[in-house]
Amino acid sequence: MDSRFTIAGRELAGLRAEKTILLAIGIQLFIAAFSSFLVVGLVSMYDPSGLDGAEIEIAGAGDAVADLERAADSVPGARVTRYEDTAAAREAFQNHAADAVVIATATDDGGVSTVVTVPDSNVETTVIVVQLQEVLQVYESNERDARSGSLAEPPLPLPERTGSSPYFTFTYTVLIPLLVFLPVFISGSITVDSITEEIDRGTLELLRVAPVTLTDIVDGKALAAVAIAPIQALCWLLLLEVNGTPVSNIGPILALMTALTVVVVGVAVAIALVAPDRRAAQLLYSIAVLALFGGATAMAGGPTNAVARLAIDSADLTTYLTVAVYAVLALVTSLGVRGFLSRIDIDAIR
Amino acid sequence: MRDRLRTILRIARWEAGGVSHGLDRRTLLGALALVLIIGAVVGGGVAVGVAGFEVDRDIYHVGVEPNSPYADAIEADPALISVGLERAEVGETVDVAVYETGEGVAVTTAETTKGEAAAEAVRAAIEAHNERRMAAEENQTAAFPVTVELRYESRTVAGTDGPTLGEDPIDEPDGADADNTVDSGPTDDESTVDSNDATDDDSTADSNDATDGEDATAHTDPADGEDGFAVPSIGDGGGEAFGADAVGSPGSITPPFPFLSLLLAFVFLVPMNFLIQAYGSSILNERINRRGELLLVAPIHAVDVVAGKTLPYVGAAVAVTAIIAVGVGGGLLSVLAMVPIALTFLAATFVGAMFARSFKELTFVTVAVSVLLTTYAFIPAVFTNVTPVALISPLTIVVLDLQGEAVSIVEFLFSTGPVTIAAGLLFLLGVGVYREEDMFTQKPVPRKLLDALAVRLASVGRVDASAEADVESTHRWGIRRRVRGLATVAFITACTVPFVFVAELLAVAVLFALPVTVSIPVLLVTLAFIEEVAKSIHLYAGFERDIFARTDRVAVAVGLASGLGFFLAEKATAVVQAVGLTDLFIGRAAFGEVAGLDALPLPLAIGLFFAPLALHGFATVVAAVGASRNRAYYTMTLVIATLLHAAYNFGVVSLYG
Repeated sequence: MDSRFTIAGRELAGLRAEKTILLAIGIQLFIAAFSSFLVVGLVSMYDPSGLDGAEIEIAGAGDAVADLERAADSVPGARVTRYEDTAAAREAFQNHAADAVVIATATDDGGVSTVVTVPDSNVETTVIVVQLQEVLQVYESNERDARSGSLAEPPLPLPERTGSSPYFTFTYTVLIPLLVFLPVFISGSITVDSITEEIDRGTLELLRVAPVTLTDIVDGKALAAVAIAPIQALCWLLLLEVNGTPVSNIGPILALMTALTVVVVGVAVAIALVAPDRRAAQLLYSIAVLALFGGATAMAGGPTNAVARLAIDSADLTTYLTVAVYAVLALVTSLGVRGFLSRIDIDAIR
Repeated sequence: MRDRLRTILRIARWEAGGVSHGLDRRTLLGALALVLIIGAVVGGGVAVGVAGFEVDRDIYHVGVEPNSPYADAIEADPALISVGLERAEVGETVDVAVYETGEGVAVTTAETTKGEAAAEAVRAAIEAHNERRMAAEENQTAAFPVTVELRYESRTVAGTDGPTLGEDPIDEPDGADADNTVDSGPTDDESTVDSNDATDDDSTADSNDATDGEDATAHTDPADGEDGFAVPSIGDGGGEAFGADAVGSPGSITPPFPFLSLLLAFVFLVPMNFLIQAYGSSILNERINRRGELLLVAPIHAVDVVAGKTLPYVGAAVAVTAIIAVGVGGGLLSVLAMVPIALTFLAATFVGAMFARSFKELTFVTVAVSVLLTTYAFIPAVFTNVTPVALISPLTIVVLDLQGEAVSIVEFLFSTGPVTIAAGLLFLLGVGVYREEDMFTQKPVPRKLLDALAVRLASVGRVDASAEADVESTHRWGIRRRVRGLATVAFITACTVPFVFVAELLAVAVLFALPVTVSIPVLLVTLAFIEEVAKSIHLYAGFERDIFARTDRVAVAVGLASGLGFFLAEKATAVVQAVGLTDLFIGRAAFGEVAGLDALPLPLAIGLFFAPLALHGFATVVAAVGASRNRAYYTMTLVIATLLHAAYNFGVVSLYG
């Protein structure tokens, strides 16, 4: 038992000396920051309610423009100015007096046809289109109400908006699972490297002279790799907590991710010992992990979703069962790898 | 020349042979088997309906009467679980409860952020449910009384004339037009072009086509709220915002977002990540157990060795890209645009593999390269139809090509040029340490970086301080050498500008999440720091490796040269942008307003044209004087230079902003 901890300690010392673990944290920080940037950026572009004070000026014309004005009144940040005819409205648009042109005309079959012109290719366009969409949807809903007699089932009334940010759902369903699972992949990759490098440099031969078995060596390496994963994840969750994002069920989340790390590291060990060299091993490892993780995520109640539900405090019995299933899977994997190691011939490796 | 070429090709052949040796048939079969298994499992799961990439499944509990019409709406949304009202206790068992009242609907929300988010999700679910019910109505005019036709029109004269690459958009069959239900007389496509004579016909036609392309994209997308695995599902209500139904109701209009093309463009990036793993391994392999020594002692240039070793991977990248292009319907343009990206991936990995000390370290380097370059290529491409700044990534060209839009040669060069230059510079940096004393030693990464930079420098001042040589002779042959040394310094500084630009963009991105009061000052200092490091790090390398004499005169000279080099390069990029793509500036200003980029210290006024020169020169001289002493002094003077620079930046920002 002692020698395993010695090997694990040596592994960790190696990581510290190379400062690679700092690089790893840096990468994760970058991914987190960039995905937040992306989402906040996208949200403010595609959901102007997140963009304070985005006001758009609509040049309206056509015989049904009065209804359009009424619809715009109930949408904050949108205003319709009426113009005599299409040409006048278009001129206002070309002179930058209006952000968009809406020509609303009643059609023969009792509907309303609108032709919307918005400026081409700039950031504003997106904001304008989204805002216009809201105006037109209110318009549509008003018109629907007026025609509800012709409908078999009138649309259900909508509740009031609460003004919640879509960023909230993103944080729990994407960002937290991402941050929790990145260390898992990194740990597996470290294991592959560590073992293939021993084989490649011929130092595994040297270790054989020491009074340790192959199982001890692999155990030590795996131990180090598994140990660093939950520590990183815990740091992330605490950081989020400090930043005002409460994360529930930290214990179960860490249990789930540690179990998953054991599985992934087990797979990494098996691949590293079977594959002929590092390139092949890393390739197989990447594909295997993508397959494993992709497959698990695609299943209902996969690890990603389980972490999201645990973190947002919507976990129920099935979520905890999922955690238990992964714990059992981890146990099975480690036993399986042990069995595999005891049967492997150390002389056959190079 | 022919001999060199033959050598390169021979090394390339060895490399290719080595790869196929490493990746033997068994490995490839194993990989293939894994891919097939997962494809079968996921495909089967999706087909049967048990699988789906719904990361937000069942995250909110909603209390609702089981037989109310709202229950159906809740059930249909995978993110919501319905709970019977009798068991619903807001804030405890459910996050939000929905009650039917006489004339409408009332919701009770838990007093938390989660409760509010849940209520918003409920609203979106009801909206989606309404859309579905309306689509099933008999009387479609009553269900969708308002039809919308959306068109894009430019208000300013677009400045990109000239020959275009790719297919001509005008000749393309307008498949999407058929979907537009109402095409009222006075303003159909033809008259849009005619009605504004001022705008050049080509660009207007382009923009119209862009809209149509969008429509087509939206229509091919299965839009039933089930496809919620990517960006659109985050936010409001499934894929509804991006899935147009054929009716053309207000709910179906889509903001410019090239979703499908973007997804396909991402497919191009995926193989790069595997490729650099193999490439990085191969380079590092040379360095383990002195395996690369044989090639080093052979009468071959290091450049040729590296070129030979890299060639098979470039070939593989082009081949894979071409296959993907055929698969997803991209043209030659897509392949051409992907080559610089592939080169940058390989170049960055090459430098990483030259600096790394072990496979473990290489893995982190590879991951870092993957993450950084994927974001650099992908994020701007998201904004393809939104802002011209998107063109800083060549992937934008791929997206445009997939949309069947034309790309002008100027745009193509603007997009691929900087990336290609950056790749070339990275290769040069790595080749500098492709020599025995760096390859087979375990030097820390910073020292190798100094080595790599020092290789490119020419000496300034007399290094041999002990020799009391006569001043006369130094003067005679010294002038030319000194000019050469200083020019090299300025040139290297100029070369850092693309990297500085990228680093600054990343800094903006990373600091974006902070509140403005914190982020703007931090950003100003960070940007100043990045620029000061870029201007002085090679000077430090020069002093440390005894290429520059450690005197104050030399420090001032190289400092000024470096400042001048940076100034010229910065101005050159600004001029290229101003001449080449006028609308880019407009785009950047617009982008800046949204993203907080306006803090970038880009002095726009001509009156202040030379102020940056004084600043760059002075700040770099300060840092260089420190660098000529030792590391502690360098750190200190670098801090002072950064603060000076930041103070200047702050002045500029408060002057203009």
